Amino acid sequence: MASAHSRMNCGEFRTNYQQDTTIFPTPLARRIAVLSVIFLLVAPYFLNPYYLNLGIQIGYYGIAALGLNIVVGFTGQISLGHAAFFGFGAFASTWLNNTTGLPVFFCIPLAGMMTMALGLIVGIPAGRIKGLYLAIATLASQYILEDFFARADWFTGGSYGAMATPFSIFGFEFNNDQRYFYVVLFYVVIMFLFGTNLMRSRDGRAFVAVRDHYLSAEIMGINLTKYRILSFGIASLYAGVGGAIFAHYLGFVSAEGFTIGLSIQFLGMIIIGGLGSVIGTLLGTAFMVLLPEVMAGGVGLVGDSLPGLTQSLAYIREMAIGLAIILFLIFEPDGLAHRWKMIKAYWKLYPFSY
Amino acid sequence: MRKSIILGSLLVVSLAFAGSAFAADKIPVGHLACYTGPTSDVGGPYGNGVADAMNYINKTGGVNGKMLDYDTVDYSYKAPQAVAIYKGWLSNLKPVAIQGWGTADTEALVQFIAKDKVPYFSASYSGHLTDPTGKSPRTKSPAPYNFFYGPSYSDTCRGLVQWAADDWKAKGKKGQPKFIHMGANHPYPNAPKAACAAYAKELGFEVLNPIVYSLKPADAKAQCLTLKDSGANYAYLGNTAGSNISLLNSCRTVSANPQFLANVWGWDENSIKAAKEAGDGVAVFVGAPTWKDTEAPGMKTVREISKMSDPTGTTYRNLHYMRGVCSAYFMKDAMEIADKRGAITGEAIKNAMETMVNHVPAGLEGVCTPSTWTNEDHRGTTSVGVYTSLYNGGDFQLNKQATIEVPRRPEWLGW
Repeated sequence: MASAHSRMNCGEFRTNYQQDTTIFPTPLARRIAVLSVIFLLVAPYFLNPYYLNLGIQIGYYGIAALGLNIVVGFTGQISLGHAAFFGFGAFASTWLNNTTGLPVFFCIPLAGMMTMALGLIVGIPAGRIKGLYLAIATLASQYILEDFFARADWFTGGSYGAMATPFSIFGFEFNNDQRYFYVVLFYVVIMFLFGTNLMRSRDGRAFVAVRDHYLSAEIMGINLTKYRILSFGIASLYAGVGGAIFAHYLGFVSAEGFTIGLSIQFLGMIIIGGLGSVIGTLLGTAFMVLLPEVMAGGVGLVGDSLPGLTQSLAYIREMAIGLAIILFLIFEPDGLAHRWKMIKAYWKLYPFSY
Repeated sequence: MRKSIILGSLLVVSLAFAGSAFAADKIPVGHLACYTGPTSDVGGPYGNGVADAMNYINKTGGVNGKMLDYDTVDYSYKAPQAVAIYKGWLSNLKPVAIQGWGTADTEALVQFIAKDKVPYFSASYSGHLTDPTGKSPRTKSPAPYNFFYGPSYSDTCRGLVQWAADDWKAKGKKGQPKFIHMGANHPYPNAPKAACAAYAKELGFEVLNPIVYSLKPADAKAQCLTLKDSGANYAYLGNTAGSNISLLNSCRTVSANPQFLANVWGWDENSIKAAKEAGDGVAVFVGAPTWKDTEAPGMKTVREISKMSDPTGTTYRNLHYMRGVCSAYFMKDAMEIADKRGAITGEAIKNAMETMVNHVPAGLEGVCTPSTWTNEDHRGTTSVGVYTSLYNGGDFQLNKQATIEVPRRPEWLGW
C-alpha cells in the first residue's frame, strides 16, 4: 500500500486477517498494557501491604477465573466445580513440595499440570452431556473433591490442612506481600498472554465455534468431544496454577476454603467481567475482590453515625455480592468488558456520539 | 459515563478509609472472633466476654496506664480467613498478643506466631497446643507462643471418661462399658479423639468406631440410630452446643440414650433450655460459675465487666462469657509483668505467662481456675469439674458430680 495513503488514515484500518487478530486491538492499547505492567513492577515500593494484598488476591483469583472463562465464556460449557480444582492445585503444590522437597518454583507449574490431568478426567462427561446435566456433573466433582480434601490425610493433611512453604529462588524467599507481588504479577502476565494467544489459535477458534453452534462446528469437522474435554483441561490448568499461587502466598491450605461458594464466586467474577473476554475476566475479578473492601470502607464512613451498621458488616458484604450479580445481569449482561468498550467508543467519537 | 466516574471516586475514597493507622503509645491486640459461622452459638458470648473485659481493663486504668488498642474481626470460623486476617494485622496493627478462637485456625497459625513471636490466647483448648518445646514424641510441631485458659480438650475428655469409669462402678453395672467419640470431621472435634480413646482403653472401656455428625445444626437421626445399634454406654460429644441440641433431640426421638459426655463448648445454659428434657443428664465439664452464682467473689467484677456492653445489667451471660473474661485477664496480667520487667513485647508476654504459678487474676477469684504455665508445659490446668444438667421445667440445674484431677503425664504433653 502506498505510504502516502496510510499517513492519511484516520482511526483504525485493518486490511488483512493478521491485523484483525493482534493480541492488542490498537497500538495504544498495547502501550497502555506495557505501561501498566511497568507501573505494577514499581508499585510494591510505594503501595502499602493492604493494597498489595488486594492486588495479589486479584492476581491468583484472576488466573483461576480466566480458566473458568475459557470453559464457560469461550467454549459455552458450564462448570460448578472450579473451586475444587483451585483447591486441588493448592494441595498438589504443597504436597509436591512437602514430600519431594522440589522447589516451589517448579511445584506451581507441576501442580497446574496435575490439576489439568484431573480436569481432563472430570471433563469427560462434558463430551456426552450439556446444559443443566453438565452443571450437575461438575457439581458432583466439586463435592467429591471437597470430601477427598477432608479425608485424604496423605495428600492434604485431612481436616487439619497443610502448611505451604514460601516461594523462593536460590534461597531468596518471597515471604512478604512486597516480594510475592512479583511472583503473582509474573504468572498473571504469562497466563493472560497464554489465554489471549490461545484464543487466536486454531484451538481457540474451535472453542468459540463449539460455543456458538455445536452442530455447525461438528459439520465443519471440529471434534466436539475433544474440544469440550480439552477446554475443561485448560480451565483446570489455570485453576491449578491459581490455587498453587494462593497456597504459597497464604502459607496454609485448608479443605474448608474450596467450597461451592467459591465456585459460584468464580462464576460471578466472569459474569460481571464479561463472558468470553480475557480483559473482562481481570476486571470482574478486581470488582469481586474490591467490592467487599469498598463496602467495608463505605460502612466505615457512615459507621460513626449508625453504629448498628458496623455490626452487620459481614451480612452487608455477602448481600452486596449477590446484589451486584443481579444488577449486572439486568443492566449489563455483557459485563464490565462491554461497559469498558462503550466508554472507549464514547471518547473515540466525542463529541459526535449519538 | 457519569456513573463510572462516581463509582470510581467512591472506590478510591473507600479504599483510602479501609487502611487506617494506629497510635503508637498503645498496646495493639488482635481479637479474632467467631460471631457468625458454625460455632457462633458459643463464639458470640465468648467474644463478648473478651471484648467487654478489654474495654473494662481500659476503663480501669489499662495495663499500668497503657491502653489496649484492640481490633475485633469476625472470621466466620474459616481457617484460611483467619490466616489472611493475621497476615493483615502483621502489616498494619502489629499486635503484641492475639485473642483467638477455633482449633482449625489456631493450629494453622502455630508456626506463624512462633516465627513472629506473637503470643496467642486461643479459645481452642486443643491438646496439640500444649507443648512449647516439641520434646514430646506425640507433638507434630512445637507451639511456644500458644496459650489457653482451661484444661485441654484431651484432658477434659480424659476427665470425663475417668468419671464415666467411676460412674459405671458406682452404678454396679457388670461387663465392659463401651465408649464412643462423636463429632464432625473437623480439627476441633478430632483434637481429643485419639488421646481420649487411648485413655478410655486404658481404663477398661471398649472403644467403638467414632460417629461423624455435622458441626452445623442438622437432623442427626441416622447418626443416633447408628449410636443405638452400637450399644455404646458413654458417648463423647465433640461439637459445639448448637449442633449438640439437634443431636440430642434426634437421639431422643429414636430413643438412643447412652450417658452423653459433652466437651466444654458442647453444653451450656442455652442448650439446656433449647434441648429441654432431651438434654437431661448430660455430663459436662463446666469451667466457670454460672451467672446466678453469688458465692464466687469474682462474679462481682464480672458483673461490672458485663455492664460495658449492657449498662442495664439485665443480660444473662452464659458460661462461655466468663471464660472469655478470664482469657483476657490472664493476658492482661502477663502484660503487667512484662511491663514491670521492661517492655510489652510478644516475647516478654510469653515469658511472663510462663512465670505464672497457680495464678488467678486479681478480682476474679472463684471465676478463673488457678493456672500454671511453664516454659516446658502449657497445660494451664488439668482440673476437670464434671456436672450433669437438669432442665427442671426451665429452672435448670447444673449438679456437680466430681472434680477430676487429670494427671500431668509427660507423654500426654502436646497430645
